[in-house]
Amino acid sequence: MKHVAKLAAAAALGALMGSTALAEGLYTPNLAYRTGPFAATGIPLMNGQADYMAMLNARDGGIGGVMVDFEECETGYSTEKGVECYEKTKGKAIVTQPWSTGITLQVLPKTNVDEIPILAPGYGFSPMADGKVFQWAFNAPLSYWDGASIILKFLQDQGDLSGKKVAFLHLDHPFGKEPLPYLETKAEALGFELLPIPVGLKEMQNQSAQWLQIRRERPDYVIMWGWGAMNAGAITEAVKTKFPMENMLGVWWSGHDADLDIVGEEGKGYKSVSWSFPNPDAPVMADVKQHVIDAGKSQASADELDGVFYSRGLVISAILAEGIHVAQEHFDKAEISPSDLRWGLENLDMSEARLDELGLTGMVPPFSTSCSNHAGHSGGWILEWDGAKFVKASDLIMPDSEAISELELSRAKEYAEANAPWPVNEDCKM
Amino acid sequence: MLYRTAGQFKTSYQADQALFPVRQDAVLLGVVLLFAWVIFPLTASEFAFQTLLIPILIYSLAALGLNLLTGYAGQLSLGTAAFMGVGAYACYKLVTLMPWLNPVVAILFSGAFSAGVGVAFGIPSLRIKGFYLAIATLAAQFFLVWLFEKWGWLYNYNASGAIQVPNLEMFGVYVAGPQASSVVQYFVVLAVVTLMTLVCINLTRGNLGRSWKATRDMDIAAELIGINLMRSKLTAFAVSSYVVGVAGALFVFMWRGAAEPNLFDIPLSFRILFIAIIGGLGSILGNYLGAILIVGLPVLLNTLPEALGLPISSATVEHLNIMIVGSLIVFFLIIEPHGLARLWALIREKLIIWPFPH
Repeated sequence: MKHVAKLAAAAALGALMGSTALAEGLYTPNLAYRTGPFAATGIPLMNGQADYMAMLNARDGGIGGVMVDFEECETGYSTEKGVECYEKTKGKAIVTQPWSTGITLQVLPKTNVDEIPILAPGYGFSPMADGKVFQWAFNAPLSYWDGASIILKFLQDQGDLSGKKVAFLHLDHPFGKEPLPYLETKAEALGFELLPIPVGLKEMQNQSAQWLQIRRERPDYVIMWGWGAMNAGAITEAVKTKFPMENMLGVWWSGHDADLDIVGEEGKGYKSVSWSFPNPDAPVMADVKQHVIDAGKSQASADELDGVFYSRGLVISAILAEGIHVAQEHFDKAEISPSDLRWGLENLDMSEARLDELGLTGMVPPFSTSCSNHAGHSGGWILEWDGAKFVKASDLIMPDSEAISELELSRAKEYAEANAPWPVNEDCKM
Repeated sequence: MLYRTAGQFKTSYQADQALFPVRQDAVLLGVVLLFAWVIFPLTASEFAFQTLLIPILIYSLAALGLNLLTGYAGQLSLGTAAFMGVGAYACYKLVTLMPWLNPVVAILFSGAFSAGVGVAFGIPSLRIKGFYLAIATLAAQFFLVWLFEKWGWLYNYNASGAIQVPNLEMFGVYVAGPQASSVVQYFVVLAVVTLMTLVCINLTRGNLGRSWKATRDMDIAAELIGINLMRSKLTAFAVSSYVVGVAGALFVFMWRGAAEPNLFDIPLSFRILFIAIIGGLGSILGNYLGAILIVGLPVLLNTLPEALGLPISSATVEHLNIMIVGSLIVFFLIIEPHGLARLWALIREKLIIWPFPH
């Protein structure tokens, strides 16, 4: 009986402390997926995100003197759970981090009504970059179309693309189909033959049919838009069919260290575009190590820390923290509202100097956003697998903004028309 | 005590065959309806609408549709999700081709397409039974999801391949799309579900329902007493697919707001089949109880640690949740293999004769 009473008292105390901790602070929920089929790729990202915020709380006492209440809501990458989490957190959240293209598509139309910014760094719907139409959605530092453009530019540097054959191996899912409109327009302009090869969700682990097609068609390059189990499936299959690895390029979600570890040496030459890069010497890594990892507050394992995905998690949280910081400065208050944060995310200026100040040297390309440009179009690096880890294989490559923005504007307009009445930011004159 | 039936005399055949021969049943239903129609809408939060009330109603309706086919007519089906998809895509095409159409009419009409597809895939049931039929309906599942992916016209050639619900107005109020408020959507769902339930209760008690039950219990005997098996089976497929299709349209238009083809894949079919089995095959009430257990309980369990102030990480809660719900399913099936509806029937019988055990 005594035990029960003690437990009850502890629980009551916990509840009290829990509620006081929630009462103040910047509530930034993350719709995480540490369970389910995509957990392997999700865990390092989530750890990176959580660790950066924990570091800010431990080192600086939060942002602008207010603690960050960074809470995870588990979705298992399921859209249904994601919507449940969104509804649960939207009451006091200043931001939504949906973490899947499916959840983003679901939440996107609600943003105008709920007025909470969506932060989807490097994923989601590419036309979200048009800030006039998608007032509440941000995909900084760059969109999938930027990614596709960087890959094409890199390939053009290798030689003229006209007359070449490029296979586009993608997940048959909104995420995988995302770059198709851009690649199609480019295929026409540059004169290469685009060969879209979809991989169904059920075929992710067994892509023998797709690779048979690739072997028959003999494309010069394979561009891969894969996620989760599809990456490992494609890479092992490519090794098995002896496809020249140096001609295979993936999007940033296909550049997961663990997927390449399986093939090791044989994966040498595989490339992936990325807007983040692990820099073990960056000051932020030392801070995270000192305040979070050595203090035992992190869930991350030691070998995760140097990976591309962990550092990408750090960068994502850094973008959010910077948005909060900018908003706090501008509105001159520490406890900001969702619409204040929207202003902050619209006025990010991640210059080289600011990145050094934040300790993120070399971890993300510099970029800036505005009310009309919610993506920043930062550009990215091509990373190459050297048999043991990813190394930079190119300088910073900038996307072809002209072609992209044209496509963005037309697609954003289409979306707004299909979802009329859709409020557009009239004040934005840029 | 509360359920004492003493003194309730039936003086006419009509009274004896009424929907609720026992007065307390009618009162209980009245209370449930009062909660559903008045008290919940007045008190529920946005979270409760979006994660509990609306999904439970929609899943119940889908399970009800499946239950007509599997529980009443004895035709095992694994294609429920695909038929829901037909309803959803039909509704999407209807409202985008004819924007002036009343959304509720569109939802009710989209069930007709699903019924047609259901009949087509029900034809094998005339020759095969049981597990073999389940495999044949599985073909519907694979084929239709493939069709939703490949046939661009269905999703108006959207680049993402997903359908997105536009804002739809009815009498000056938004009922679907991002602008619609949850309480309005709840009322639309509740009205459709109430109507469908009423129709289904009466169908299963009538001539058609009796021929379904005869087909289920022994098809040769049914044929011998003059039931046209083809008619009985195909009407079961048609009515079931109609209800499932309407549930699918509600699923996307009144709740999800957007859908991609793989949403309608096998896991959803299984989920609805589990609701129907755990709720109780061959019952109407069971679908609601099953949906509360399978759809509602995990949501409530998820919020529990936070409400109690227990510092458990969200991922751990998710793992615990799966374990608890899984063991509850096993527990309920052990204590009552015929489902929750049967469990309730036993409780009710005990209550009627209480306090005497016999």
